[in-house]
Amino acid sequence: MKSLKILFFALVCALIGSNASAEEKKYFQNRIEKLENRVKQIEAEKSRKPSSLSTRRGLSSSSSTATRISRAFNPAISVNGLLLGTYTDQGRADGSREVKTGMKVQEVELRFTANIDSYLHGDLTIAFEGDEVEIEEIIASLLVANNLSFRAGKFFAPFGKHNLLHTHAFPFIDAPLINEEILGEEGINEVGVGMALLLPTPWFSEFNILFLEGDNDLFAGPLNDDFLYLAHWKNLVDLTDELTAELGGSFGYGRNDLTTGPYNYTTLAGADLTFKWKPSGRELYRTLVWQTEFIQSSRDVVKNGIYTLLQYQFARRWWAQGRYDFFTIPRDTVGGGGEVAQDKNRYSALLAFAPSEFSALRLQYNFLDQSAAENEHQVLLQLNFTFGSHPAHKY
Amino acid sequence: MNHFNSIRIIFVCFIFLLTIPTMALAQLNVVTTTEDIASIVREVGGDLVTVKSIAKGYQDPHVIEAKPSYMLKVNRADLLIYQGLELEVGWLPMLIQGGRNKKVFPGQLGHLDVSEAITPLDVPIGELDRSMGDVHPSGNPHYHLNPHNGLLMADSIADRLSLLDPANADAYQSNLDDFSKRLENKIREWTARMEKFQNLNVITYHATWNYLLDFLAIESIGTIENRPGIPPSGKHLSELATMMKQTNTRVILQANFFEKEFSDLLAGKTQGEVVVLPAYAGGTREAKDYLALFDVLINKLEKTFGKHLSVVNGESR
Repeated sequence: MKSLKILFFALVCALIGSNASAEEKKYFQNRIEKLENRVKQIEAEKSRKPSSLSTRRGLSSSSSTATRISRAFNPAISVNGLLLGTYTDQGRADGSREVKTGMKVQEVELRFTANIDSYLHGDLTIAFEGDEVEIEEIIASLLVANNLSFRAGKFFAPFGKHNLLHTHAFPFIDAPLINEEILGEEGINEVGVGMALLLPTPWFSEFNILFLEGDNDLFAGPLNDDFLYLAHWKNLVDLTDELTAELGGSFGYGRNDLTTGPYNYTTLAGADLTFKWKPSGRELYRTLVWQTEFIQSSRDVVKNGIYTLLQYQFARRWWAQGRYDFFTIPRDTVGGGGEVAQDKNRYSALLAFAPSEFSALRLQYNFLDQSAAENEHQVLLQLNFTFGSHPAHKY
Repeated sequence: MNHFNSIRIIFVCFIFLLTIPTMALAQLNVVTTTEDIASIVREVGGDLVTVKSIAKGYQDPHVIEAKPSYMLKVNRADLLIYQGLELEVGWLPMLIQGGRNKKVFPGQLGHLDVSEAITPLDVPIGELDRSMGDVHPSGNPHYHLNPHNGLLMADSIADRLSLLDPANADAYQSNLDDFSKRLENKIREWTARMEKFQNLNVITYHATWNYLLDFLAIESIGTIENRPGIPPSGKHLSELATMMKQTNTRVILQANFFEKEFSDLLAGKTQGEVVVLPAYAGGTREAKDYLALFDVLINKLEKTFGKHLSVVNGESR
């Protein structure tokens, strides 16, 4: 007790002795008063809170189940819902059409994401479309060394830009013609393994090599060991703080289902160029994207085409978009396959209202000018929403 | 023997030559998400570090996109420092994943969440969901706007730099002491200048300013956004207008990365004044670093409140 008194005395002496200016003293007094108030406030808040029992109960109910298995390690789960209404002026009596007048659930995607352990990261996407349930993606990925990553599973292969996207992230309600006509409705979605290497360049440059099962119709060979080999090179440069340019090239090679002749291997080539602009300090309100992609497949027939699209965000919640699609099977390359040469042009316009980043209402108009069928007008209205913990979208 | 010696000398020279490039590279490469953190790192790290911020001070860090060029910055960093409390949740996880740099993965020494050093405000109580807008479940992330938190941020940054580069720990400590002293002096000055405005009311566009207002003991009586991140309805604006008139509130604060239309609309209804402020270092040319940011803020607020104080007092007395 005595020593405490001495200590206190020494402290007071030290305080008086220190040549603190009046201003400083006032400052410290103020701070002390503030802190005292803060303590009072916190104590008041504490007493206002419900009893510790209910707090504890609340905590336990969110961290474990009655089985005493912790929920803390559950994956991030999200649902994407796509509701679609369609009008087309063609094929009113034809129920088998892909695009027909009516309403449907375009797709529901269920997504799970988590770190598996200290080595692997896991992603699962299950897609429900009509009566079909499909594992759209199941991926285990691993960072082998700095700059080198590895993945195994079933996934959208990095071929160009659009093939990587889940339906809910499509820039338009439907996929570009070249993706539908050349890569097929599912795109290049394959089981296999892949490696991605970040190159030591001053700009972002990533090289992907993939070894895939080759289930896609383009590559479905007659033997079980007919695989698909795929490479993709992606480059992105900051032209200014506001503008980026991305240039990519893709190449695929594999055996197809033609049994004889010089055409029993398919080659697939693609190129993409994207410019993206956002004004500094107004990122929330304006965006301009110009994206162009070219794809060509060669086997007994050559198919190729291009799309180019513009997306302009003109207000915080509003987007206006336009797209031109061209797809062709040139006449002079027809071999023995018996496919008829054709070409298709499609012109699309879209207006989107996105009240938040989790929902959007999109209205799209398509005009199809095609050689193999009647010209067609289509109107599509889509409600696109996400709930749960959804990972951020790629740039 | 002589021969052996000369080999030894050559060997030593060779080793020395090898160390030159590593010595040149010995600077720690720090990447931060915001300019405020970058500014404090510059103060504490001095010449011993190089710093780059991903978001510029005039950008809203909520809406940065995960550009691959940012991944490259993360890829080449020794230390990644971020503001946390889900401010960067829309893009930072992608950058860390895409950066492919194990040094800055969560749990590593090269990964620092500065929000762990401070006590957050506005921590929501009770159940949350997205109908409440862009809520931050762990609290308001704009804590750098209370300069007292600046002291805590600098402390935690100096700690981490010293852990990563123990050889220079003394230098970091003395830089920290110097910075803290300057900031403390400034805090005294700002507090003294703004004292007379304590308990005034303001409206803010977003909850950006709550920490600054807490520091200045000024009350925010409402936000123009209906809920965080959600633009206001007409009804909400007219309710705010009524409240402003009842409480004699004249000042509307907003960050310079938001459009002014709603604030102007409200100001027009209430004879109020919209004050557009930088929210981060680098937000305007004058607010070039952390201390200068507060100088700009305090100058502007002192002027505005000074103008309105006489009116408010005149009417309320």
